[in-house]
Amino acid sequence: MTAYNTIAFDPSRCELCNDCDACITACAQVKSGTDNPLHSRIKIVAGFNGNDPELALCRQCGDPECVKSCPSTALTKNPETGMIDWEKSLCVDCLLCTVGCTYGGITYNATLKHVAKCDLCDGDPACVKACPSGALTYVTSASIFNEQHEREDLFVPGLSACQGCNSEMIMRHSLRKVGPDTVLATPPGCIPGMGSVGFNGTTGTKVPVFHPLLTNTASMLAGLKKQYNRMGRNVTAMALAGDGGAGDVGFQSLSGAAERNDQVLFICVDNEGYMNTGMQASGSTSYGSWTTTTPVGSQMKGKRTGQKNLAMIMMNHNCEYVATASTAFVEDYYEKLDKALEASERGFAYLHIYSPCPTGWRFPSSQTIEVCRKGVETNFAPLWEYERGGELRFTHSIDNPLPVEAYLNLSGKYRHVSEEQLAHIQEQVNERVKTLKRFAGMN
Amino acid sequence: MNTTHYLIAGASHAGLEAAHRIRLVDETSPITMVTRDAHPPYSPTILPYVVSGQSEPGRVVLRKPDWFEQHNINLVSDDELVAIDEAQRQVTLKSGQQWQYEKLLLATGADPIIPPIPGLEKTPFHVLRTMQHAVALRDHAGKAKRAVVLGAGLIGMHGAENLRHAGLEVTIVEMCDQVLPGYFDSRAASVIEEAFNDNGIRMLMGSRVVEVEPEGEGCRIQLENGDSLETELLLVATGVRPQLDFLAGTSVANDQGILVDDRMRTSADNIWAAGDVTQATDFYGDKPVMMGILPDAVTQGAVAAMDMSEDHALKPYAGGVPINTYTFFGQQAISVGQSMAEDGIEELTRLDDDNRGYLKILLRDNQLHGISSINQEMDAGIMWQLILRRVDLTPVRDAFIERPLETGRALMSSTWR
Amino acid sequence: MATPALKMKMKTAGCAQSIVCDGNEAAAWAVALARPDLVAVYPITPQSSLVEYVSQFIADGKIEAELMNVEGEHSVLSALHGAALAGGRTYTATCGPGLAFMFEPYWRTPGMRLPIVASLVTRDGITPQCVWGGQQDAMTMKETGWIQIYCETVQEVLDTTIMAYRIAEHHDVMLPVNICHDGNYLSYGVTQVEVPEQSAVDDYLGEKNINWHVALDPLRPMAVDPLTGGAGGPGPGKFVAYRQGLCEGMQNALGVIEQAHSDWADIFGRDYAPLVEEYRLDDADYALVTIGSMTGAAKDAVDSARERGERVGIIKIKTFRPFPVEAMARALKKVHAVGVVDRSVHYGWNCGPLFQEVLSCVYRTGKPIATGSFIGGLAGADLTETHFTRAIDRTAQLLAGTEFDGPVWLNEND
Repeated sequence: MTAYNTIAFDPSRCELCNDCDACITACAQVKSGTDNPLHSRIKIVAGFNGNDPELALCRQCGDPECVKSCPSTALTKNPETGMIDWEKSLCVDCLLCTVGCTYGGITYNATLKHVAKCDLCDGDPACVKACPSGALTYVTSASIFNEQHEREDLFVPGLSACQGCNSEMIMRHSLRKVGPDTVLATPPGCIPGMGSVGFNGTTGTKVPVFHPLLTNTASMLAGLKKQYNRMGRNVTAMALAGDGGAGDVGFQSLSGAAERNDQVLFICVDNEGYMNTGMQASGSTSYGSWTTTTPVGSQMKGKRTGQKNLAMIMMNHNCEYVATASTAFVEDYYEKLDKALEASERGFAYLHIYSPCPTGWRFPSSQTIEVCRKGVETNFAPLWEYERGGELRFTHSIDNPLPVEAYLNLSGKYRHVSEEQLAHIQEQVNERVKTLKRFAGMN
Repeated sequence: MNTTHYLIAGASHAGLEAAHRIRLVDETSPITMVTRDAHPPYSPTILPYVVSGQSEPGRVVLRKPDWFEQHNINLVSDDELVAIDEAQRQVTLKSGQQWQYEKLLLATGADPIIPPIPGLEKTPFHVLRTMQHAVALRDHAGKAKRAVVLGAGLIGMHGAENLRHAGLEVTIVEMCDQVLPGYFDSRAASVIEEAFNDNGIRMLMGSRVVEVEPEGEGCRIQLENGDSLETELLLVATGVRPQLDFLAGTSVANDQGILVDDRMRTSADNIWAAGDVTQATDFYGDKPVMMGILPDAVTQGAVAAMDMSEDHALKPYAGGVPINTYTFFGQQAISVGQSMAEDGIEELTRLDDDNRGYLKILLRDNQLHGISSINQEMDAGIMWQLILRRVDLTPVRDAFIERPLETGRALMSSTWR
Repeated sequence: MATPALKMKMKTAGCAQSIVCDGNEAAAWAVALARPDLVAVYPITPQSSLVEYVSQFIADGKIEAELMNVEGEHSVLSALHGAALAGGRTYTATCGPGLAFMFEPYWRTPGMRLPIVASLVTRDGITPQCVWGGQQDAMTMKETGWIQIYCETVQEVLDTTIMAYRIAEHHDVMLPVNICHDGNYLSYGVTQVEVPEQSAVDDYLGEKNINWHVALDPLRPMAVDPLTGGAGGPGPGKFVAYRQGLCEGMQNALGVIEQAHSDWADIFGRDYAPLVEEYRLDDADYALVTIGSMTGAAKDAVDSARERGERVGIIKIKTFRPFPVEAMARALKKVHAVGVVDRSVHYGWNCGPLFQEVLSCVYRTGKPIATGSFIGGLAGADLTETHFTRAIDRTAQLLAGTEFDGPVWLNEND
């Protein structure tokens, strides 16, 4: 099964409530030469009870039900473009396709007297160009799937991550990309905890996998890589570590390896705490966060100090490559993973991936990617990269961020946060962006 | 003895979806499909359009031969299942071929019902269920002037309209006093009937045929009220039912169709059934029902295949919901779910000014029970899902009644991200 | 200083050169001859000159190995783990606080059965703050599963460090080895040393096969050290099997160490007692038990005592882990009283650690041997013939039936 490009919709940015219908008009113009909204293949509808607006548009599904319900073969999934094509000369107007679609993506146009659907304007959708608020974006992330799904998943099925955890996704995607000539080290934490290193003599990974100490992942891999270099074998030394194993007790080893520019691909999956052992605070835990060791009581309202910004510290080692990433922006992550993998042939490459924890941060398991997204869009977790000798470069705009509440409100760990704390967090976010901008040569 | 892991009898929507679903999780086990057609797979729904000439037989092929090759599926055409030995897990085909299977899916569809009308056995007439039937009817229509269609069900109505498009004088004879009984209420039926009348089709409702006899190139049809009709072409479209002779000697329980559970398992081990051949769970009641709807056949094929291939993503069949998207002479009648109110059902009806547009919403405890419309923009798929998921409309009740289209779209869109 | 107890055998391999060096440089020469793949270093007194020599040898091409200048001992041993799991022969050296910092990976090394060789240039413990020699660091680590071999002379440091690879990598052993040489006394003590020929060492060590049993290698993927059952799930069976295997490896090591020494003697002509050395013991009534470089002065004291007519000998332990219970018991059986001289403290028993081990062996002899604990040479203090003469006198009193409580602190008035 294959999935492809599609138009993504962010309801929180949509301006329908301000009478914006730019996308609808643009579509009607392109498809009919008129402004008649009935000709638009994109429909924005008011959200119920004051919620954000919603979208009726063909999602160009991977395994489309409309195509399966079509008796005439007028609808087909184009294997090249991924689009669901509609052929007028074959259509018998039976409307069975509209039964297949759950999202109002193919509808009867009474003026044209046949069904009509989005054709993505040959890859340059008019609605996206017309959208003034950025609510509509043309996303090609599915192309990652097309590229990657042929590669072997190098973890066994059935890892026992908590529901909604994005670490498993990070693990599977990353190792699929990095490939089988890899030695993987996963220091104590959620990643081995969910079974990647196996149990009692079995393995959870199809590449050699090691459960190093919480403290020594980077130096262990550095030694291993040196030996393979000596043997003339190209083996990737890769770490999937938590923030504790990377930035707290593991930091000395990490810093040493970065300083020596050892050829290691080090991925830190940052869930801001010791989540595997029951949600204790780490150096990466953010200010104000509830954890089991920074609890909320009459004398204490969550963590009293700010988080250590490990990615920035790593950048200051001047190793080959340092970047931050988020699973809400997977394309961005894939580009960075490519660069990091390549950089790890030359020296130390460090990727810092935000991994909101539904269990420990107290948000619904369906919201993980949304929390990731809001983290980036509020500048709480800005996306950037740094290549040795160059300047820091933002890979997602830091302009016009959402207020930090938009991020904090999603997680129960900030539920108690007072106005003063909120102001402090916003100030910290602003300060951090200012610092990053200096490294980016912006002022 | 031929052997296969999966044997799928039938190669229309249910069978094809099943093969597709199996291949999603099982890339290697042999799949064999058997179809009685010599023609490559097609949809029975397309046949009336073949009659009118709008669709060409060569352009409505659901899966081309390379699809079967790519998916490593062995297609046995022009042959059909005649006997099952469930103990030995073997089937015998009409050609005498025998196949050993591990898992068998019966997706053989349904066949026309031939009513016990005196004289019919010696009279030439048409039915419309296979491509062969459609081509024969099309060729005959090209030579005939007049056509009589027995039955105002879906096939009869589509057949009649398409014969009209092909230029014939058409008469419909229906025992009931409305068209499309069971799909639409009488008000909708009357709009449809009117359109047929307006387009020159004679509608003889509440009429019963007592005898037919050959006459010249065609036949003469005697009605109960004493009238008689002469025609060159007779299309018998009085319903369909599955042909189940191949079940003889098996433990596969059946009534009008093959009885299945919510995973499309029959009462016999290693045998599943899907599509028009089944009599499956009713979404609305306890008694199993015959459904005969294309999207439902796709769903049943998917459920059966996921159970056969032990796909853990399987969601049990939620039960059959009547759905009809009926287009006639440029108008649309859409009905999803129940069309008639009963006790405990709230009925809300709205008529357009010109009486041609019409909308009826049926609610039970603020859940959508059924919705039907004439000439209204309607997302049938969204309404189907609102019913199947038993979405509580209480918070959006007023909006839904006022604007079912937009509200339905907002509800389903909110489940997407 | 008395001549080391070397029984010279007929040499079959010549020495490449004869040099004058200290124990740290001798160890570096041994490392060069053992041809390791990876050496990771972090300096600490009194080991520093050892890693300086090794680094210089690598810089000069005398050692063809990867050199990692690591940011601390914890990472030093971690890097060695990685290299060993990839099949590399590895080396490092440390002591004292460095060893303490290394403890986490150190503790884990035997369980993974990694045949890593590390010199411990032994140093006393802190606090009080102290940078001098002593064996408190090594003795503190005695229950971690590392093999510990203590050297007496600079030549023995060189020879035994090479032998350590043969022992560690033996398929019946597969355990890490610490070659312990006394800080200050052996690290900086300079003597003439014979450096063996490279080809003869190559023959002696043979083909290395470091990770046949456990590897991080994409060609044979496995999970290295997954969680075991323990209190939950499948139970502790696998864990117990690992422990049993480690104990078996330790016991196998006794024979392997003996064989390594006798082969060494055959090839290079220097024959050291591999487990326990008996010095003038056969006709002795009583003996001192010694360990490491102190033994030279002890032998001088014994020689002098013999001249006075004392029937005293020496039992010197070379292999401390695994403890050579049988060899020790055999030696003890020859005497009626022993005075055990330790260069470290066993806090729990108010004695020296070696004393406590000897005491256990006494039970094995079935003889009522009188015992006394002497603690000396702490913080790098000299243990001279005078100190040993006192120990001999005191042990002679034991023989006469005058027992004493608690240890005799040989340097307390120095």
